[in-house]
Amino acid sequence: MAWRNVWRNRRRSLVTVAATTLAFTVMILYSSLVQGYLRTMERNLLDLELGDVQIHDPRYQDDPSLYSSIDDASELLARFDARGYPASARLLGFGLAAAADASAGVQIQGIDVARDRRVSRIDERVRAGSWLDPDAPKGVVVGSKLARTLVVKPGDEIILLSQASDGSMANDVYTVRGVLLGVSEGVDRAGVFMTEEAFRQFFSFPTGAHEIMLRRPADMSLDAFAAAVRDLAPGERVETWRELQPTLASLFESARGLMVMVFLIVYVAIGILILNAMLMAVFERIREFGVLKAIGFEPRQVLLVIFGECAIQTGLAILVGLALAVPGLWYLAHVGINMGKLGGMAMMGVVLDPTWRGLIAPDVFTMPLMTLVIIVAVAASYPAARAAWISPIRAIQHR
Amino acid sequence: MSPSDVVVSVENVTKTYQQGRVAVHALRGLDLEVRAGELTALYGPSGSGKTTLLNVVGALDHPTAGRVLIEGRDLGTLSRRELSHLRRDRIGFVFQAYNLIPVLTAYENAETVMALQGVPAPARRARIGELFAEMGLEGMEDRRPDELSGGQQQRVAIARAIAAGPAVVLADEPTANVDSETAEKLLDIMEKLNSERGVTFIFSTHDPRVMERARRLVRIVDGRVDGERGNGA
Ligand SMILES: Nc1ncnc2c1ncn2[C@@H]1O[C@H](COP(=O)(O)OP(=O)(O)OP(=O)(O)O)[C@@H](O)[C@H]1O
Ligand SMILES: [Mg+2]
Repeated sequence: MAWRNVWRNRRRSLVTVAATTLAFTVMILYSSLVQGYLRTMERNLLDLELGDVQIHDPRYQDDPSLYSSIDDASELLARFDARGYPASARLLGFGLAAAADASAGVQIQGIDVARDRRVSRIDERVRAGSWLDPDAPKGVVVGSKLARTLVVKPGDEIILLSQASDGSMANDVYTVRGVLLGVSEGVDRAGVFMTEEAFRQFFSFPTGAHEIMLRRPADMSLDAFAAAVRDLAPGERVETWRELQPTLASLFESARGLMVMVFLIVYVAIGILILNAMLMAVFERIREFGVLKAIGFEPRQVLLVIFGECAIQTGLAILVGLALAVPGLWYLAHVGINMGKLGGMAMMGVVLDPTWRGLIAPDVFTMPLMTLVIIVAVAASYPAARAAWISPIRAIQHR
Repeated sequence: MSPSDVVVSVENVTKTYQQGRVAVHALRGLDLEVRAGELTALYGPSGSGKTTLLNVVGALDHPTAGRVLIEGRDLGTLSRRELSHLRRDRIGFVFQAYNLIPVLTAYENAETVMALQGVPAPARRARIGELFAEMGLEGMEDRRPDELSGGQQQRVAIARAIAAGPAVVLADEPTANVDSETAEKLLDIMEKLNSERGVTFIFSTHDPRVMERARRLVRIVDGRVDGERGNGA
């Protein structure tokens, strides 16, 4: 009965279904883009800069100097290796870089080139030249903006100056091996990467490290992983990326919340359309509902008829919407939107990819779907209740 | 006749409608008993309370005072749900016009009440088939109401009302919207159902020809029974 009622006012039903379909399709694509964007931001942040969890010496936060180091870093790395947690130590120091015409303050990072590949993909973000090579200790890689400031390109020489751990003056000449693509604001402006050996030599820093970066196994939650790491590194400061970058972490959360708000706003418009269509449908058939009530339909049986009609229309919209969304999603995920000049630029300290790609994941569908179903159910309940609890005499006398 | 044969019992029923500040007394202490197998016609001037009486008997409306009993059950003591089941199981309704569900076929319309009761499809098919044959509706099963004449629609409505075997069928001016020839045919059918199947009918009418065919005539004036007479028999 519900099915046939849907086709009674063909045009009205088609308009309702079409509008619902359109909104649903657009919301799926929108959700895919937003989630793709967030996923890329998060992945870039984690893959290129933070890792999942970092360990520092407790003193490092207040005094980020050469001396605030984790002394038993190699011992910790051995423990993580035994557990199969990808981990790598980094050495951190500050200094001044000078080229032919310019100079700049820099953060120098000493990297175990082979090990670092387990935790970071920064080696894949080289724009010109190449990444570090343990066999070429005099070669350094610099951030994109730093290269511009110093006016250097691969093959050029730079001089680094600092104070070594023994208090002596550290200075040496290096060759720029590579210039990075955008990574993050900090790295772009001030990052100088060298091999671990080169760092130890430059700063006269024989053992220890300043930072251990870890990645979590896919089957472990971030918090569980951090707890496990804490157990293995007593006395050290262990922080998840969320703790290291609380602003960004909460930004990602609120971006998801914002997305649901947009769903709600779009769907409320659809809800009003459905409310109006259903009210008209109920009003036109008021005598019919009166007859149904008179011959013994209970309110819930009338509700079932109305919600049935609504469910058919919405179900149809969902099916058509999915069918339309699939090619759109495929395009967004595989081709993506060219970001033009914005690509490679950092947004809030995190770099953007040159193409904005959509994400294909279950909740790209489930979130727009669930919001739609809830809104439709709410919109239909008023007309349905009107029909279900109508007084039969008044309905039958209605003209 | 034993008191158990009394299907409908209306005891001193009053119905007052409040229309703004004016109280409209549609029924003023009306008494009526209808026994199983009767074919009763209510007649009387317009506004005398016939429709109101049928609504009260059909559990569609509550009396302001007095009692209505259907097969001995006092409607005032029943819950909404029980009233709804009572309407479904014990009362058949035929309204003036246009009371079929337009999206359902004649057959589907006729079987609604039985389907609502949970009667299995084969039993429904047998019962409706029999009734349609008896009422000259063979071949009409798959037509929608808008493909049927007024008289045919009203016959389908009667089939729906009696299909589930109600204790009483209430019909408010069932012939008001059809031509006289069709009215005669409808009356033939009601008479036949009454005499052959013992279906109890109460209908209201203004139509003298309808009155002629009723076995019992009750005159309603000003919300009271003003007199009654038997017909023919
Ligand atoms: N819902 C209502 N509100 C107020 N007054 C009503 C209502 N329904 C009926 N009445 C009044 O009650 C009285 C009885 O009406 P009712 O419809 O029962 O008469 P009737 O005998 O069926 O008349 P008719 O032969 O014209 O159908 C009338 O005066 C009518 O105006
Ligand atoms: Mg009337």
